[in-house]
Amino acid sequence: MHLLIRQARVVAPGSEFHDQIVDLLIQDGIIINIGKDITAPDARLLEAEGLCVSPGFVDVFADYREPGFEHKETIASGLDCAAVGGFTHVLVAPNTHPATTSKAAVQYLLKKAHGHAVSLHPLGAVTRDIEGKALAEMMDMHGNGAIAFTDGWKPVQNSNLMLKALEYLNAFEGTVIQIPADAALSEGGLMHEGPVSTRLGMAGIPVLAETILLHRDIELLRYTGSHLHVTGISSAAGVDMIRRAKAEGLNITCSVTPYHLALNDEVLTTYNSHYKVNPPIRSEADRQALVAGLADGTIDCIASHHRPQEWDAKAKEFEYASDGMNVQEMAFSIAYDAVNGAVPLERLIDAIAVRPRQILGLPGGGISAQAQADICIFVTGTQNTVERPRSLSANNPFIGKSFSTRVLGIVNNGKYTIN
Amino acid sequence: MSLSVKHLLGIKELQPQDIELIFRTADTFKQVLQRQIKKVPALRDTTIANVFFENSTRTRISFELAQKRLSADTINFAASSSSVSKGETLIDTVNNILAMKVDMVVMRHSASGAPWFLANHIDASIINAGDGTNEHPTQALLDAFSIRERLGEVKGKRVAIIGDIMHSRVALSNIYCLNKLGAEVMVAGPPTLIPKHIQDLGVKVEYDVKKALEWADVANVLRIQLERQHKPLFSTLREYALYYGINKSMLDSLNKEMVIMHPGPINRGVEINSDVADSKQSIILDQVENGVAIRMAVIYLLSGKGEIVE
Repeated sequence: MHLLIRQARVVAPGSEFHDQIVDLLIQDGIIINIGKDITAPDARLLEAEGLCVSPGFVDVFADYREPGFEHKETIASGLDCAAVGGFTHVLVAPNTHPATTSKAAVQYLLKKAHGHAVSLHPLGAVTRDIEGKALAEMMDMHGNGAIAFTDGWKPVQNSNLMLKALEYLNAFEGTVIQIPADAALSEGGLMHEGPVSTRLGMAGIPVLAETILLHRDIELLRYTGSHLHVTGISSAAGVDMIRRAKAEGLNITCSVTPYHLALNDEVLTTYNSHYKVNPPIRSEADRQALVAGLADGTIDCIASHHRPQEWDAKAKEFEYASDGMNVQEMAFSIAYDAVNGAVPLERLIDAIAVRPRQILGLPGGGISAQAQADICIFVTGTQNTVERPRSLSANNPFIGKSFSTRVLGIVNNGKYTIN
Repeated sequence: MSLSVKHLLGIKELQPQDIELIFRTADTFKQVLQRQIKKVPALRDTTIANVFFENSTRTRISFELAQKRLSADTINFAASSSSVSKGETLIDTVNNILAMKVDMVVMRHSASGAPWFLANHIDASIINAGDGTNEHPTQALLDAFSIRERLGEVKGKRVAIIGDIMHSRVALSNIYCLNKLGAEVMVAGPPTLIPKHIQDLGVKVEYDVKKALEWADVANVLRIQLERQHKPLFSTLREYALYYGINKSMLDSLNKEMVIMHPGPINRGVEINSDVADSKQSIILDQVENGVAIRMAVIYLLSGKGEIVE
């Protein structure tokens, strides 16, 4: 299996070939040559206007719904989405049924994903069965391949339990991942609390729900000295708090979803349940602060927060519809167009491919000859729409929308997939 | 002239001239309602379903009466006695009704935006009879119509809406309607029952009911929903009645004869005292009467028959 990528711009901040236009020859999953005018008559040829090669993308938070909700997404269909989206590594949320709360569950996920071009990294639950009552066997899950720990969509509310979780993980320098959402302040809320929610007569989720939990977690972090990764940051105030905590030297990192970068709460005006997500899509000022936070590095990474829901779960009254958006396949394209002009491509690739590896200790992140290929191939400056997503679900308002980038494929684990 | 909308989802979507057209049409129907035979044959060819996913007595009766006065055929559907309790979805429920050749749906629902959702999935015209904490457009129309009837016009009048603004679809629809007609609007009540961003809708906010009454020409007093007591929004009904309830001595101290409204049902002795509700300043029963004429007008205009020309 030969693959020749011709005349591609390398976007790999920190790598030798960064920002050069080169040919890359890949054989059996290894980049055997990088240079000018490489010829390989037997190789499958990839060339296109605006072609780029970067390290494979890393999705810090995606929900594949298996076991328990296989009609929404399976591990196989989810990993296919990831490949289409340019991801070579995916951290998978523990909110399955049963939850990823034991060694057996971690092993199940790894076994299911084995042999795929995309590497799956299970996120273990912080609390047993994600009930928020007692610590899960994080040490044992870590020993069997859980990459970090989170209660996912049900962030840890009990302060003492969160404190103990952060302390407990210091034994192996583990990471807690938390969506900053205070349950009591979010209760009953359907969208961002602001002028738009007032206009629409919908119960709001105040920014306070984010900042209160974030404030608590930062205080706990200051006390324990552990590593906290905040995902799904949604507000300007939240970004400011992260910025200050980083300036203070705390080991805190964070990620943002593509849809929080792209959308503001005006999209809720027609009560379209595709836009029902948690944390909610916030105001335009918040959105701009997220873009600025991504530009200056306060926001380290992009996390898709991929959350597939079947048609029936969304084709309901807004209040009764399930939350979540199914965007992993388009995560890069959505983010690219959302921040175009405000965040250079180099920083975007850093956020989606390089920083997550540094934060989580994953291999790869560069592009060099005689190394395992762990790359994403994409084009910029194109016109592209996705009509039929690979996912089993279609709860995605970006279907049919036009993007200016397109992921062509990935190479990883000795395999390649070309879209 | 006809309405600029196919459905009545909310006042939000109406143009001021839509509201004027509804009022002109309601004037005609109100005259019909004074006659010996209170009925016109206009909608003999129309079948209307009243689909109520939330309890309602007066709104449902008012709609049904309006439909009968227009000679429409009607069917009533209440969620508690229906397949909804067996888990049927909203789309299925309504499509099943429409399959029986129904032309128009009047729906009340506990979820904000439910009529929008329905409008995106079915062909029939929809009239929102109240959705969650969003809108109750026919109530706002009949309220403004009643103000117009009592005070001659709505433009320039000062209307205070008093009570639980946060959970009230009547408040939101009234704010939209009164703004579009050129009235000034103030909301008053406990701070926990007033949405934080309500000023963005162009209304004044007042926490002191006495001051609101001093400012206003009209007070629209909202019902305190008794179940809200169990949430941490206010302390007790007793305290609410003492500090936010409207009583006769308050009105008498104002040196003006202001108009008192209430969308009903009234909690006497809580948000309003009997000596106010039953006073000659109160137009509460006029509101109820006008409700039928307004709903006749809305149904008639949405049926696409065009403006009544006399």
